[in-house]
Amino acid sequence: MEYEVVIGLEVHVELMTESKLFCPCPNHFVPEPNVHTCPVCLGFPGAFPRLNSEAVQQALTASLALNCDIALSSYFDRKNYFYPDMPKGYQISQYYEPIGSNGHLTIEDDHGSIKKIRIGRVHMEEDAGKLVHAAGGNGSKVDYNRAGVPLVEIVTEPDLRSPGESRRYLEQLKSILQYAGVSDCKMEEGSLRCDANISLRPKGSETFGSKTELKNMNSFKAVEKSLEHEIQRQSDVLKSGEEVISQTLRWEEDKQETIVMRSKLEAHDYRCFTDPELSPLVLTAEAVEKARATLPEMAEARAARFKSGYNLPEYDAGVLTASRCLADYFEACLESYNNPKEVSNWIMGELLARLNAAGLEADQSSFLPEHLAELLQMIDENLISGKIGKEVLEKAFESGQSPRTVVEEEGLLQISDQGELEEIVDKVVAANPDSVEKYRVGTTKVIGFLVGQVMKETKGKANPKLVNELLLKKLKQV
Amino acid sequence: MDLRNLSVCQAAEDIHNGEYTAHDLIEKTLENGSLLNESLNIFIHQAGVDALEQAKAIDLRIEKGEKLPLAGIPVAVKDDICYGVLPTTFGSGGFSDFYSPYTATAVERLMEAGAIVVGKTNLDNMSLGSSTTSSPKGATINPWDNSRAAGSAGAVAVITGAAMVALESDSGGALRQGASSCGVAGLRPTGGLVSRHGLNLHSSSFGQIGVTALTGKNIDAVIQVIAGYDQYDASTLISKDESILEVEPVAIENLKIGFPQSLIEGLEPEFKAICQETINLFKEQGFEISDISLKMLPEALRAYYVIAQAEASSNHARFDGIRFGSASEADNLEELYLKSRSNILGREGRQRSIYGTYLLNKGNFDLYYRQALKVWNLVRREFGLALTGCELLLMPVVKNLPPLLSEGKDLISSWEEDIFCAPVSLSGLPALSFPAGMIGELPAGLQLVGPPFSEKTLTTVSDIVVRNKQLFPHGKA
Repeated sequence: MEYEVVIGLEVHVELMTESKLFCPCPNHFVPEPNVHTCPVCLGFPGAFPRLNSEAVQQALTASLALNCDIALSSYFDRKNYFYPDMPKGYQISQYYEPIGSNGHLTIEDDHGSIKKIRIGRVHMEEDAGKLVHAAGGNGSKVDYNRAGVPLVEIVTEPDLRSPGESRRYLEQLKSILQYAGVSDCKMEEGSLRCDANISLRPKGSETFGSKTELKNMNSFKAVEKSLEHEIQRQSDVLKSGEEVISQTLRWEEDKQETIVMRSKLEAHDYRCFTDPELSPLVLTAEAVEKARATLPEMAEARAARFKSGYNLPEYDAGVLTASRCLADYFEACLESYNNPKEVSNWIMGELLARLNAAGLEADQSSFLPEHLAELLQMIDENLISGKIGKEVLEKAFESGQSPRTVVEEEGLLQISDQGELEEIVDKVVAANPDSVEKYRVGTTKVIGFLVGQVMKETKGKANPKLVNELLLKKLKQV
Repeated sequence: MDLRNLSVCQAAEDIHNGEYTAHDLIEKTLENGSLLNESLNIFIHQAGVDALEQAKAIDLRIEKGEKLPLAGIPVAVKDDICYGVLPTTFGSGGFSDFYSPYTATAVERLMEAGAIVVGKTNLDNMSLGSSTTSSPKGATINPWDNSRAAGSAGAVAVITGAAMVALESDSGGALRQGASSCGVAGLRPTGGLVSRHGLNLHSSSFGQIGVTALTGKNIDAVIQVIAGYDQYDASTLISKDESILEVEPVAIENLKIGFPQSLIEGLEPEFKAICQETINLFKEQGFEISDISLKMLPEALRAYYVIAQAEASSNHARFDGIRFGSASEADNLEELYLKSRSNILGREGRQRSIYGTYLLNKGNFDLYYRQALKVWNLVRREFGLALTGCELLLMPVVKNLPPLLSEGKDLISSWEEDIFCAPVSLSGLPALSFPAGMIGELPAGLQLVGPPFSEKTLTTVSDIVVRNKQLFPHGKA
């Protein structure tokens, strides 16, 4: 029998607010435990939550960017569970009435056609703390820095039909949320987390098979791999005539396999009820329309603008807008160096190669947009050659120094002194009578070889244009 | 100075005028408190030296010409309200050495106005009850009849001169019932008027900080200081508009007071008599008394206990001996949780956690919790409707005398005692319990309920009765 795969994803995304969801503690990572805490996020008796309006604004933006209907009145509920990662003994979430619902985004399916993936709900909630288990069962420690950090949870309908679609959904979701400016969506750092629900059913069937839930994937690739693994496992079970047991599985990255965490029968009853310490979240229709009107530009629109506004080829516009931070990098560079095609070439060539090799995003590198602009400026001013420029970029990228500093410290300034170069040209011409002879009988391409020799003499620092001129002049004289 | 004949405003004025110092007043109050504490068990912690030093500092500021509306006023604070200077026990054996890292907003505002905390008063374990009998320190003794519970230690502090005013909490009626049992005035303010920041709530929906004092006028002086928006308590957004705090001269001529005649049919004759006396006194003032109907009280009481227990089961989850409260000795984690939680929450706390958990379970949520929320709405509507035909409501506070200390505690019948108080908590309206008369050797109160932010009217009207009825216990007190 042929089976159809049915996948739904639950994605948690950390919002990029200044402070936590219900208290003024800072919302950014610090390695030292329990420093970003206060009586509210530690759940002290008599300390009450106060809703962060910036988080509401970002959740609203995310919901709108995902084409959701917005609830003008939504609520915060308590999800009660007894575990040390929540100081209060419950997590504040939007269980009954989420801020966004009935949304969607579009992806390419496995056959290259456009497919709409429905998003059932987008709701706000607070993150839990982090448990650190000591080796050998020797006690556990808890870090509440993350407790109370604002999240949105984005839940799809069971519309995904393959691991590939699931990965493309995540990539698309990441791009949208990055462009919306609400999250950096770095799965490796935990600012985007994904659980997957997956079941198989006979092709053509309308009812769903029993599903399992996959957890603990920490990259898009891991999501794809774990789903492939689970499809294989479920279809083996079904083919052997047995039934899939509804359970929660944990992806083990090292072993590339899943292990059972708990049976669904042990599922929690979270006893959700509306938190009496928080008022309903009321939005006015005007506020929603204002947020809709001021939604940041998404990838497609930005690529179109890059094409028409900067006269870039479609390919360049596509590469530059693949992530928001790269597109931001490009435009920031243009502010001090207004040659879009040149900037694009350097970003797509040298910079991306370095970033990929280092595993960094454009906003994580210490080689800043103004550094690239400075470098290109120096090339234009004949202070260095393009070739040296690449070397300077590499060194600046590694050391974090500005290109100018690298050029000065390494003595890479281009030789544009006519007298100095003439001497070297004379020397090269004198040392290569064969080439000179060839030139004279009309083999003009030897000029390239001779330029190369001059460059070699000057360790690449000679101004190539000037060398060319001087060589031609000299050869004509000979 | 005789604290019993001294109003809050008078004392503050005397201190500004140099009649006596804040230090004198606090010394005298502490002396009263120490004397009585042994026999009546009022305080869990007394401020002693701290209070005297604060008094000295206040005197210095007065000397320099500062004006402080509550200069030197001695305040007792119930021990479920956090005050960083003294330990906060929440009435629990699991919090014997807990110092809150912050002080409740209401207490801070009092201190900024010159008031001085003289001690933390006794209470039921986790504030669950209105008798103080479940306190690990034992019950506070009623100064009128030493064989009975006082109900509220703050009320005892006020009637015996161990404090001039007391900050207390009220969910289902503890503050109002304690005031009634001790013969003082006690106000539960409009929901959202006074910040609850720093109050350990077992019920987030109904818990409020209120004020107990000898007169409505004294209560008023305190409310003026502690009321209003507080950034640490979002429920006070309702009082962000400062104008609600303005002291309007209340026109009380021709006041219409509604009284639910049918409700008192089942009351003991002595309680009926007190209602009648008060009605007569109001009529003499020219007030019009009209019969109103409040049919929802029995359902309201049950809704209160459903919601309050559900909330307690959630609010108390954090008290596990590791996150909060002391850890009991145990061989493993499970046992540690069990023993610590039992010790921290006490008998009623354990019961409420179990009932509350049961009420919120999937199968019961719609049956009980959601129904209770609907009843809550209907109760609010009923009180609102009752107040369309009159300006204030007059209601009983209790139907029985405070419990004998020798009596065993029956949970359900103690809950039934909240039949007049808990429904008012559901309404969100302000209510003032005032001494209305004596039943044998014991005082008994009635409560006035008004529309939102009618605190000034309530205190003014109740003082008409208080002027006529104020009595003080003798004997041991």
